[in-house]
Amino acid sequence: MKILLVEDDEVLITVLTKSLTAQHYIVDVVKDGETGWTYGATFEYDLILLDIMLPKLDGIRLCQRFRAEGYTTPILLLTAQNSCTAKVNGLDAGADDYVVKPFDAPELIARIRALLRRSQVNSFPLLTWGDLLLNPSTCEVSYNSQPLTLTNKEYELLELMMRDSQHLLSADEILDRLWSSDEFPSEATVRSHIRRLRQKLVAVGAPADFITTVHGRGYCLKAQEPQGEDPSEVTTSSEMEPLNPLSEVTGIIGDRSSEQQAQYLAFLNQLWSTSKSQCLEQLGILLHVLQSLQSGTCNQQLQTQAQQTAHKLAGTLGTLGLTLGMQLAHQLEGLLGSQLPMPVQRVEMLSALLLALEQAIQNTNSIHHAPAAAIASIAPSSSPVGDSNMGTKVMIVDDDIEYLRSLPQLLEPWGFSVTTLADPLEFWSVLEAMSPDVLVLDVNMPQINGIELCQALRNNLTWRRLPVLFLSIMTDMNTQNLAFSAGADDYLCKPVVGKDLANRILNRLKRVSAWVESY
Amino acid sequence: MPTKRILIVDDEESIQIVVQFGIQMTTDWVVLAASSGSKGIQMARTERPDVILLDASMPEMDGIATFHALHSYPETAEIPVIFLTAKAQTSDQKKFSDLGVSGVITKPFNSLYLPDRIVKLLDWSL
Repeated sequence: MKILLVEDDEVLITVLTKSLTAQHYIVDVVKDGETGWTYGATFEYDLILLDIMLPKLDGIRLCQRFRAEGYTTPILLLTAQNSCTAKVNGLDAGADDYVVKPFDAPELIARIRALLRRSQVNSFPLLTWGDLLLNPSTCEVSYNSQPLTLTNKEYELLELMMRDSQHLLSADEILDRLWSSDEFPSEATVRSHIRRLRQKLVAVGAPADFITTVHGRGYCLKAQEPQGEDPSEVTTSSEMEPLNPLSEVTGIIGDRSSEQQAQYLAFLNQLWSTSKSQCLEQLGILLHVLQSLQSGTCNQQLQTQAQQTAHKLAGTLGTLGLTLGMQLAHQLEGLLGSQLPMPVQRVEMLSALLLALEQAIQNTNSIHHAPAAAIASIAPSSSPVGDSNMGTKVMIVDDDIEYLRSLPQLLEPWGFSVTTLADPLEFWSVLEAMSPDVLVLDVNMPQINGIELCQALRNNLTWRRLPVLFLSIMTDMNTQNLAFSAGADDYLCKPVVGKDLANRILNRLKRVSAWVESY
Repeated sequence: MPTKRILIVDDEESIQIVVQFGIQMTTDWVVLAASSGSKGIQMARTERPDVILLDASMPEMDGIATFHALHSYPETAEIPVIFLTAKAQTSDQKKFSDLGVSGVITKPFNSLYLPDRIVKLLDWSL
């Protein structure tokens, strides 16, 4: 978010700039009203902080000029004048808020956040996009409850994309919005930040195209899957079922007419009017648990109950068409799975999420979209590649626990029996116990890395012929060469689609069985 | 051919209502509802539905315990069960798969399309 500070007091400029940049705002500073007009009319700002007593053009007249010319940028006036008249004059001139000097920096920042919320499409105190959560008040970002450590610019870039999720942002627009007017970075800088941001998102389980590039036009956040659809489950379904899964029932049950859809939406709205209070009651339970977490009196049973409540609330809100509420409740569910005692930052995030969820429920008076038509449904016994994979044992070693959790889901629909291991120190005991048919290894792991494990396997008479595939975020040729030198049979880069991983495993197994048959 | 009878077992009344509305709007199936595992078992034993839609997480007697109980009665052991759950985790999917359920439908869902999903999962010919 970019702020124009129009202030001629050097000390205040230093203090304000420091406070604002600490909150990840980009700040342009000008010291007189006329330059303030030039900057405000030339560049795009999310907010203007305007002192009243300025040389050349005072803040009141500058504010009036902005409004007369049709600029709707939020304006917050700063002044030493505490009289009622001064405040009225300022607000009547078109200012959105008025802060009297001396002021508390935290209060000023909170007022800025409030003004920025009002001017955004998303007026909730938290920003969410699928499993991504950004808290502007604490500058914390998480993906599927996994915290993300971002540089200032990466944070600002992500916040910009989440706030402006409705349209593509070109490199020029990003440069304009995220760098101050006296900096001149190039488009390559933007590309570099996007690349690093993508890597960090992928490392916590986001898809590689979470930030989508539209060549020649710009960047945006990937449109979220329709509710109730998990990409891996959709992949599964598309492998298992005909392209039109409704084909065999067309004419029996029939398609859904727009009239039926409209009736369904009307029904959801009617139901919401009675369900809203029940959802708020469930929220009350969660608030009670939050209080016990804050006071350190929460026990595991209470936390587990709260987690289950959040889980059910997510299901109900989603089924009623409240997507934001569902996402927030899922985030809560994830956080409530933390071990006790819960770290302070997590409790704070929990508090912010509950506040946002309460607002989401309270502020929803009507539902505009029913949940999407597609329903994720899993028939556990189906195997798209055929029953020949049944019983093939795959062992996956990766210290990234969250990523590890997603892999069996990708492979089991193909009939593989998957064992996962997060601690490479347990490798040999688990290997002996499971006796897998193929091994999938991450490269970078603590204590012992995947390449060392592969080398050890190749030096072991019992396991030297075990097919080994590497699955890593490292895309450089050097790492790949090291892996193949250590005896790897294949190397894939994260993230990976289930079908690709399954096919590579199968190909490797076919090669092994062909080799065995030839002997 | 007699029409299908669906039993929804979910402690959330709103989910029961959504399921009933969607199914009855698009089919002539009969929808029965129970708000707990124990009531669901009782109803299944007396009504003998063609399928049970079972919420995975319910207080007192959760979906898995209810499923096991259904299997212990000869009159309900063969009734197909489809679990309803919000955003199934991998460990939950494996758990349900190992149980031998006929399918899992994740919330949220648009219940206008529930009949299609049920027909597909159970391979009903209508």
